[in-house]
Amino acid sequence: MGAAAAYGGVLADALVHAWSHASALAPGAAVGALLLVAALVFGGRGLGVALFLAGATYVGAVAAAGHRIDGSAPLVAVLLLLCGELSAWSLDERWGIRAAAPLAWRRGAGVAILGLAGLAVAALVVALSAVPSNHGLAWTVAGAAAAVGAAGTGIWVARR
Amino acid sequence: MTGFTSRRLPAYGSLAAAGLIAGLALGRVEPVALAAPFLLALVAAVAWREPQVAVRVTLARDRALEGDEVAVTVDLSAPENVDRVELLVPLPPELSADGGPARAVRLRAGEEQTVELQVRCERWGAFTIGPLLIRARDTLAFRSWESEAGEPHALRVYPGEQTLRSLVVPLETQVFAGNQVSRARGEGIEFADLREWQPGDRLRRVNWRATALRGALWVNEQHLERNTDVVLFLDTFGEVRVEGRSTNDRAVRAAATLAHRYLERKDRVGLVGFGGFLSWLVPASGTKQLYQIVDTLLTSQIVHSYAWRGVDVLPPRTLPPKALVLAITPLLDNRTASALLDLRARGYDLVVVEVSPLELVAPDRDAAAQLAHRLWRLSREALRWRYEQVGVPVVTWREDEPLAVPLEEVNAFRHLARPA
Repeated sequence: MGAAAAYGGVLADALVHAWSHASALAPGAAVGALLLVAALVFGGRGLGVALFLAGATYVGAVAAAGHRIDGSAPLVAVLLLLCGELSAWSLDERWGIRAAAPLAWRRGAGVAILGLAGLAVAALVVALSAVPSNHGLAWTVAGAAAAVGAAGTGIWVARR
Repeated sequence: MTGFTSRRLPAYGSLAAAGLIAGLALGRVEPVALAAPFLLALVAAVAWREPQVAVRVTLARDRALEGDEVAVTVDLSAPENVDRVELLVPLPPELSADGGPARAVRLRAGEEQTVELQVRCERWGAFTIGPLLIRARDTLAFRSWESEAGEPHALRVYPGEQTLRSLVVPLETQVFAGNQVSRARGEGIEFADLREWQPGDRLRRVNWRATALRGALWVNEQHLERNTDVVLFLDTFGEVRVEGRSTNDRAVRAAATLAHRYLERKDRVGLVGFGGFLSWLVPASGTKQLYQIVDTLLTSQIVHSYAWRGVDVLPPRTLPPKALVLAITPLLDNRTASALLDLRARGYDLVVVEVSPLELVAPDRDAAAQLAHRLWRLSREALRWRYEQVGVPVVTWREDEPLAVPLEEVNAFRHLARPA
């Protein structure tokens, strides 16, 4: 239910942004919704395509609306991620494994932390993109630090 | 441990890549923002390392009766925190675990976690519990590591026994001491007859009342107490099995019950598993023989075979002379029928307990199926008539009856028609 709600939220946001182009976006959104239902019924197959279609619908809507930068993009990104995570959680629970209660709470907390962190990162991306170039030494240093951090994270991940 | 990656991780990677490319292509930040959380998830997934989980499995006991519960204890430990460890105890269909055979727990570094499963023994048999299947996962189930763990443990589930007030008494006894009153006369307890005193008779055997009446010494004669040989003849050529109910299961339960009761009486009991797979135990007495019989019964199974078998294939010592042969059969295979008639022709004291399959076989509604069902029942009646013609009691043991009922029928048959 949570996954479907998150998915619906993304599609609703897309249609709100480009109501005049709803007819062009609706087929992709409908196919995506069907794929999500199929993924939930048939063990997760097609979940990635469903997420891709929702994201494409949103990007298409934003592009069609012609906004310079859509402020709701981080929220949409987190909704997509939550849709994927909640779907996977739902599918995992179908195995009927008797688990200790704290495990469910830990996973819920994990999903929430990942969502919040994703929201923060996406918001940072949007915020940074709004900053004009050559806006001072501080932003240049912040950008360089971010680049170094990203590269370091990549190296750390690759070495594990 | 073998590592696996969740199927959504490649999807997340593709989505992130598509978002970044779309951002570059369209010159917009929104696709990049969409990609950012998925990139973060990828980084989080890769950060997890393979855990080391130590597993120890113990069974509360290695022998149980049907219907018993056996505790399976699994001790888990890990040097580092493991967010979720799932364990599956693979169980055969004859065993079931309360709440299912799978459990999930969290392991803290250096702390031992104990998981206990109550395994219910639904049916007799020899089983192996373990090794377990272990799956360690991260909190969000991005990556998992699976392996087998723990040693296999044998669990023997013995068939449940029924209460029997009396047994089928063999017509002939053997030469060893036992609890069965022999027809022969000699030193015993049961009074048999009076006869005139002869030199060598002991004074304690003199019947003084008869002596006073007749004016000469008369002595008592007693029946001997001897043991008997009983051969349990288990037909394993075929069975009828419907939804966990089987003629072979009941036959094994009956054989175990009879073996226990006859061995209690100090009789010698042997076993012949007559079917596609031939097994036998030479008659012997004692507790060891009981365990051997039950262990052999646990491994008895229906093995389909088209090879003709007669009693000639059995070792001679398996069927000692004057033995009571108790055949437990669903009367489904002609080879068993012929072998039993052959045994009767050789002079064995034969009793056939028919484990009725009729309750398990319901005919279809169409006329042809009902006709076939009637013909099948008629053929069974004809077979029973053939046995009765040669003096063999054939009793039917129905599913809802205790075993004592057909045994009492045998005793009644023997009172009315003593076989030659």
